[in-house]
Amino acid sequence: MTVVRCVEVSLTIPDNEARTALVTLQRLGVPVTTLERADVYRCDVQEREADHLSELFRSLETLFNPNKHSLRVRAGDGPARGEVWIQERSAAPERAEKAGVRIAGRRLPGVTSLERFTSWRLSAEMGAPAGPDLVQAAQETLLYNPAFQKATTA
Amino acid sequence: MSARVGIVVFPGTNSEEETLRACLAVGLEAALVPWNAHPDGLRSLDAFVLPGGFAYEDRVRAGAIAAHDRLMSAVRAAAAAGKPVLGICNGAQVLVESGLVPALDDVERPQVGFTRNAPAGKYRSTHVHVKLAIAPERCTLTASLPPGAVLPAWASHGEGRLAGEPDVLARVQREGRIAFVYCDAHGAVSAQSVPNGSALGAAALVNARGNVLALMPHPERDAWTYMHHGRERERARGDAAQMLATSGGIALFAGLARAVSA
Repeated sequence: MTVVRCVEVSLTIPDNEARTALVTLQRLGVPVTTLERADVYRCDVQEREADHLSELFRSLETLFNPNKHSLRVRAGDGPARGEVWIQERSAAPERAEKAGVRIAGRRLPGVTSLERFTSWRLSAEMGAPAGPDLVQAAQETLLYNPAFQKATTA
Repeated sequence: MSARVGIVVFPGTNSEEETLRACLAVGLEAALVPWNAHPDGLRSLDAFVLPGGFAYEDRVRAGAIAAHDRLMSAVRAAAAAGKPVLGICNGAQVLVESGLVPALDDVERPQVGFTRNAPAGKYRSTHVHVKLAIAPERCTLTASLPPGAVLPAWASHGEGRLAGEPDVLARVQREGRIAFVYCDAHGAVSAQSVPNGSALGAAALVNARGNVLALMPHPERDAWTYMHHGRERERARGDAAQMLATSGGIALFAGLARAVSA
């Protein structure tokens, strides 16, 4: 039996890419006040291994550097309010039934499926999560190219 | 007076000097235009070239931030006025993200994308040939080339694969927006000649009016004989004048020169 878990890896140091995107959106008239970016890995993981998922990802040096990244296993299996997850349309989940999927040159025991997204977390005034209209405006203005990417929101 | 061409330099552009050199070699009066130049001061220019590189470090997506740069308003105005606009590699990505190509139905929104190479998704630097896939007069920059002209160039990109919805790609093909396709040195088109998995084998897109051309491989890196890959360069060995002569990819810049002086 498998369960779905999402692992989020984000920068603890200033994120220049998010800063550039924020400034661009504001200049284009999209009233976002903060913008955070993270890599999200949505995994189907065997239930007995689920509690070790954080530890597994922390061991992947090319994805997680404790000097500049934070890592958490999120609640839920999709974007939260104020978030949009971007993925290439052609991206298919990595799958491996028994031995575990491979990522960053390593096998993840117990992980039978893995998808990778770029998550953008937007807030409006007073730090409140951005509403659906604002998220949509940001994604359509800059954050994704609908020709070859998918955007998933809450 | 010779035509004045602005070569746009965003933070992260890295091919501006080669592009400038190619423009000068065909008699154009060309100058580098930094991203913070005021667009109003650029309106008198006769053409723009957007060179390759990694504008704004490819933040968000290749070309996405630069496509919204204030300076692009001058490029958009030039394109709308029918002036030639050439984007090379990252410059091509900027033109696609800005919606200046393919601009189906004259809609300036991203309708296709140059995305990660397939199948491996890796950066490729390799010599290629591209073949003119439209009638030469269809694009102002190619009007002086013979039909089916084959040009050498260097592909140097991680995101050069044309991608889009199947119906959009079908229209791109049907409406003659694919200006160049990848081919071999003899002009034969096959999947083996495509270095990046690009849909329809596309190497370049053109807008409906024919004045905006977005080309992924670099003609300016194959515009002198000594830059060529293979027999042509070997034949020039021992002949300094021939080795240092312009040839190959310079034809596209010659086409630009003719377009702006027309």
